[in-house]
Amino acid sequence: MKQKGLGFYLRIYGKILAQDLKSKMSYRADFIISTIGMIFTNIAGFVSFWILFRNFPSINGWSYYEMLFLYGFSLVSLTPVQCFFDNNWSLRMYVYSGDFIKYCFRPINLFFYYQSEVFDIKGLGQLSFGIGTLIYSWSKIGLGFTPLILMKMIVFLLTASLIMIALQNASAATCFWIQNSFYVLDLVLKFKDYARYPITIFSPVFRFIFTFIMPIAFIAYYPSLVILRPDEVPLLSWLSPLIGCLFFWISYKFWMYGAMKYSGTGS
Amino acid sequence: MSAIIQIKNVTKEFKVLNRREGLKGSLKDLFSRDYKIVRAVDNISMNIEQGEIVGYLGPNGAGKSTTIKMMTGVLEPTSGEILVSGNIPYQNRAKNAQEIGVVFGQRSQLWWALPLIESFKLLKDIYQISDSDYESMMHLYRSLVDIEPLLHKPVRQMSLGQRTLSDILAAFLHNPKIVFLDEPTIGLDVSMKSKIRILINALNKEKNTTVILTTHDMGDVDALCQRIVIIDKGKMLYNNDIEHLKGFFGSYRTLKIRIDGDLKQQAEVIQKSLPEFSVSADEEWISILVDEEKSKIMEVLHQLQKSHEMRDMQLQEISTEEIIKKIYEEGVE
Amino acid sequence: MKLKKYISLTRAGIMESLHFRLGTVVMVIGNLLYLIVVYFLWKAIYASAGTDVVNGMTFTDTLIYLVLATALFGFMEMYTVWEIGRNIQSGKIVLDLLKPMEYRRYLFWSYSGSFVTQFFFTFLPTFIIVGIVTHGAIPLGTNLLFFVISVIMAVSINYSIDFFVGTICLFTESIWGINIMKQVIVLLLSGATIPIAFFPETLKTIVYYLPFQSIYNAPLTLLLDGNPKNETVLTILSTQLIWCIVMMILSKLFWKVSLRQITVNGG
Repeated sequence: MKQKGLGFYLRIYGKILAQDLKSKMSYRADFIISTIGMIFTNIAGFVSFWILFRNFPSINGWSYYEMLFLYGFSLVSLTPVQCFFDNNWSLRMYVYSGDFIKYCFRPINLFFYYQSEVFDIKGLGQLSFGIGTLIYSWSKIGLGFTPLILMKMIVFLLTASLIMIALQNASAATCFWIQNSFYVLDLVLKFKDYARYPITIFSPVFRFIFTFIMPIAFIAYYPSLVILRPDEVPLLSWLSPLIGCLFFWISYKFWMYGAMKYSGTGS
Repeated sequence: MSAIIQIKNVTKEFKVLNRREGLKGSLKDLFSRDYKIVRAVDNISMNIEQGEIVGYLGPNGAGKSTTIKMMTGVLEPTSGEILVSGNIPYQNRAKNAQEIGVVFGQRSQLWWALPLIESFKLLKDIYQISDSDYESMMHLYRSLVDIEPLLHKPVRQMSLGQRTLSDILAAFLHNPKIVFLDEPTIGLDVSMKSKIRILINALNKEKNTTVILTTHDMGDVDALCQRIVIIDKGKMLYNNDIEHLKGFFGSYRTLKIRIDGDLKQQAEVIQKSLPEFSVSADEEWISILVDEEKSKIMEVLHQLQKSHEMRDMQLQEISTEEIIKKIYEEGVE
Repeated sequence: MKLKKYISLTRAGIMESLHFRLGTVVMVIGNLLYLIVVYFLWKAIYASAGTDVVNGMTFTDTLIYLVLATALFGFMEMYTVWEIGRNIQSGKIVLDLLKPMEYRRYLFWSYSGSFVTQFFFTFLPTFIIVGIVTHGAIPLGTNLLFFVISVIMAVSINYSIDFFVGTICLFTESIWGINIMKQVIVLLLSGATIPIAFFPETLKTIVYYLPFQSIYNAPLTLLLDGNPKNETVLTILSTQLIWCIVMMILSKLFWKVSLRQITVNGG
């Protein structure tokens, strides 16, 4: 058997993606309605943000535009999880019905094979909203723009994405143990809405929890500090790429462990 | 030549939650749980040679799927050894997957939204099938079934029969050494069943692929299998040629008749006139298990017609369940 | 006899939801953590405002309002749109339609068991905890009675809206898109995410003409008002009653018309 390296997986993913997009286009009504739904979600998010903060020039030392920057940052960093890992939401259904078994018979990585099945194009709408917000708040705050900053921005956005992906993988994988993992996923979904607020608003205990136990502070706060407050970047911000990879790896192992443990119990 | 599948003293146990009954029970379950160990597969051994078609039979919950899951590497046996084509399936799941093909009942493994041909192309990449192998396989498929109308149809729009056919073709695509078919003909009409049986037979002949088939349909067994293995409650009951079993049970058929009057009473009367066969009655039918080596069905019918006015009749082949029942009652040897 | 049929559906629902033991535990923990986030976020907002009263609400008012809104959400979210959508796609709807009970009613009562579990596992603990944390800031008087009446009507309005939106699934396969649009609109315009008192004036006026505010804003306003004026109570409750009836008629009518349309076309 030939070695299956990164190139092999990328090629397969590309092909599945192309096919998936083709078939998505064939459900045109669904595609349009979902896209409108996604736009609605984003607009509602902005409206809530605006209603909430329009009365206050700053929250806890964070200006309106800095808050907006965090918001945009979280939108962009949440795009990969939306686009590439959306099949996690169906996992509990496959597990419950026993259909999950069908993923176990292929000679490729189970996690990859499962996640590759769905590419959620709606995430791209969120991406454009996020980028728009970032650029707008960027110019309002008057942050400089150099290739180095752009580089930092990309690295730390990726970092933040990894964390969110890890959180979602882990929470989806709980369905291998508890039947209705929807609550867990839904909980994580709610929490990511709160990831867009600076962690300094919490008391020390919860700052600790949201940094190390449920690492939502890494979704926007720590990574964006590198751009927003270049003079007072804490060590954790610099470490966040490493932490992102670590969390992702752990969540992957957890997911695979659950999958292998589960596949027996179904009928 | 050593066997392609070797199973030695394999046992698989599951921990199952005992749910309590009623509303109060549900509340109790919330706080304390009670598990019991269930032995799904109990000390099974068998060898399967390259190119065989083996029927793996047993009632629901007998442990068939569990055994297949262990052979495919999805499940790890609690104890015992399994070797599939030289691999220990559980330890080398991916490597094992390259050597096998699986069709699991009605759960299609194809990409739901894609036309079949695109699923095939993806499988070609995933299994790293060379262009020439792929082409020759497609050529073979074209000669065996009318595949063209299927190729450009998304799987979700296919009928159950077409989907099963596609799944079987997909399972053979990478020319695996072994193909597992879990109830491939379930829910299909007669003509589709025979189409699928012909296809499986042809692929087995052409590629010398080992096929392991679970089914409830004795028709599948008759049409395909050289050997059958029967399992019930996790234990192996029978493992031998089909001819051997047929010699034992093949000559039995159930004759069902419907007559007026009290069926129980009538059944007793018939039993007296046919002392060599067992006669029973339910609400609608009187059933007579006829051993055709002793007398022909037609003779029995003729005899009954003289004494009773029959309103309807049916003839039934012996079913897996009846075979198992008879094995329990009489043994095989 | 008739009541017994409903009660047995309720009972089956309770048993089903208790079977998901860990799911229940996760749900309780999740809600508590979520409340903590809400607490700190609004604390920061009030700290930044510099005054104790913002838009006529104190910090405690806002906290009680939002926390109970979340608890009410858990209570009222019946995933009706998903249920209907999935039943339509799987064809199970045909069986449900054959049941000797109106589908709209059948669906409601099948879910009603969760009302009971949700009430005891989510709403009541939340209510008590909030009461303790805020040192008895929830007024305990006739307002409780008004609140209960109001919640019952809110459940009805919410269900009618859900059922109405669910009916749309007869025409399109896009359950996700339909559901997310409904959820976003209802949550924002009902005052579940941000109290309506914080809305800008024009938006506030518009929102008061829509049915959504009767779901969350109405019962919570009644609950927080310790000395309710008769006319206020009467206005809120009668508005709710009107919406209750209007939405019920609308959703029933829409379902009937759509069903006829579909059966005629053989969808």
